[in-house]
Amino acid sequence: MEKITIGDFKKMFNQAYTDIKQREDEFSQLDAVIGDGDHGTAIVQAMQSAVEAIDKGAEFKQMLNDAGFNVMLQTSGSTSTLMGGFLLGMSDHSTGEELNIDQIKALFKGGLEGVQKQTKAQPGDKTMMDALQPAVEAIVNSESADIRTIMESAANAALEGAKATVGMKANFGRARNYGEKSIGYADSGASSWACMFQAFSKSL
Amino acid sequence: MKTKFINEANNITKELLEGFTMAYADQVKLAKENIVVRKNSKSEDKVAVITLGGAGHEPALSGFVGDGMLDCSVVGDIFAAPGAQRLFEALQLFKREAGILLVVLNHSGDIMSANMASQLAGRVGIKVKMLITHDDISAGLDTPDDDRRGLAGCIPLFKILGAAADAGKSIDELYELGERFNKNVATLGTAMGKCTHPQNNTIISDLPEGEMEIGMGQHGEGGGGRQALISADDTAEKMVELLATKLQLKAGDKTILIINGTGSTTLMEMSIVYRRAAQVLQEKGTEVVFGRIDEILTVQEQHGFQMIIARVDDDHINYLKNYMSNAPYWTAIGK
Repeated sequence: MEKITIGDFKKMFNQAYTDIKQREDEFSQLDAVIGDGDHGTAIVQAMQSAVEAIDKGAEFKQMLNDAGFNVMLQTSGSTSTLMGGFLLGMSDHSTGEELNIDQIKALFKGGLEGVQKQTKAQPGDKTMMDALQPAVEAIVNSESADIRTIMESAANAALEGAKATVGMKANFGRARNYGEKSIGYADSGASSWACMFQAFSKSL
Repeated sequence: MKTKFINEANNITKELLEGFTMAYADQVKLAKENIVVRKNSKSEDKVAVITLGGAGHEPALSGFVGDGMLDCSVVGDIFAAPGAQRLFEALQLFKREAGILLVVLNHSGDIMSANMASQLAGRVGIKVKMLITHDDISAGLDTPDDDRRGLAGCIPLFKILGAAADAGKSIDELYELGERFNKNVATLGTAMGKCTHPQNNTIISDLPEGEMEIGMGQHGEGGGGRQALISADDTAEKMVELLATKLQLKAGDKTILIINGTGSTTLMEMSIVYRRAAQVLQEKGTEVVFGRIDEILTVQEQHGFQMIIARVDDDHINYLKNYMSNAPYWTAIGK
């Protein structure tokens, strides 16, 4: 697989929405350990708003821009800020109706930069960044010429990153007040974003 | 059980804004649901000054929309930030070459909505600059600005910025003027008794009889420590000391002093507190150039007050005192 079309991309996001929705309660329960327990609801709402706009899209740049606006305007809270930033960042680094491997690398790198504009969280802080950054790095650094292989390595990197948050102490946002108590549970955001990258890979 | 003169709990914000804009129809109107604007908008070559925040703090923030003060206030539900969508609508209404100065009180929900709406506005060519207020000092004197809340110190700031914007200052000049004020203002709240959330009657702060707390936030959330109730003079002295230390006030400084009642504090009590606070400021050799005793930002029926002290320069004094505003609740008039 050397290219992805708008149609492929719609499948990726729809799969992610379905899989995240299926694990909604799990993400909320993880969030309840060191947060207000609403991450499942929040990420499902954000994905729903994203998919709504993506399904209508005909061209990458406009579609991702509309999806970013939809997520940021329809829903509130930090989850939608981050998801909105991801989509707007991807929009800034995409164009046309299909993407080759170099363009996909630019797309996800742009998405990561878009999220970095919203948060100062770094890998190791026990946030979604622990899944997103390794996933994007896996895509950018991959030497494969097959998109399926590239996205599979991203899914694995995201999953490993999310698993690694179990041993981390929360170091960001309100959760940092929990200190040592936050150790022993995976971060809800890292888990849901890892779920998204697994779904991307599965759908191709 | 209801304890307030309200109707359907979910209609509180809508109904209070309707009543407010009906009463002051010569000065303000609703442009859209929960978006309060001046009756007569100013010319587009001038910077628009907009703020946002939850309802339940009347007369703040919408009471300070009017000529010479805010152009617009975007209102959320009780104690809740308005969503990014509503704020984005307001920013679209005020799109102009001169730009929009968005004044945001440092509360996470407000900051988040403001961040999102300004980013989206930027993508569609609307020029927005955010100015964040963080005057609360209850989190400690060395606490970084990011962790300090925005309290009623925003109200004199609205007057300064509104007057300067109407006078034709550029967005960069306004931002600089506002930041200069933000660096020199400090606020501390104190409270006793209890107050309730009007929608669900939840008690949002509850201090036993005979106790007080210095460092109260504006949603009843505690900040400082509880202590036995002390006299007005002792309370004023303690609070001025903390505020003066934070501001590093020295003899010769020009200051403003505002006592803001938070809901059920009598003007009698506020005046007695003001007296001692002003005396202490004078004893420190500072000149109090502007004073107010009023309810400018309330917390339902909270018995308590916020003390706001700022060190001001000639620009601040000029825009505070020499320009008129017809905002319904800016009751202090020019010099």
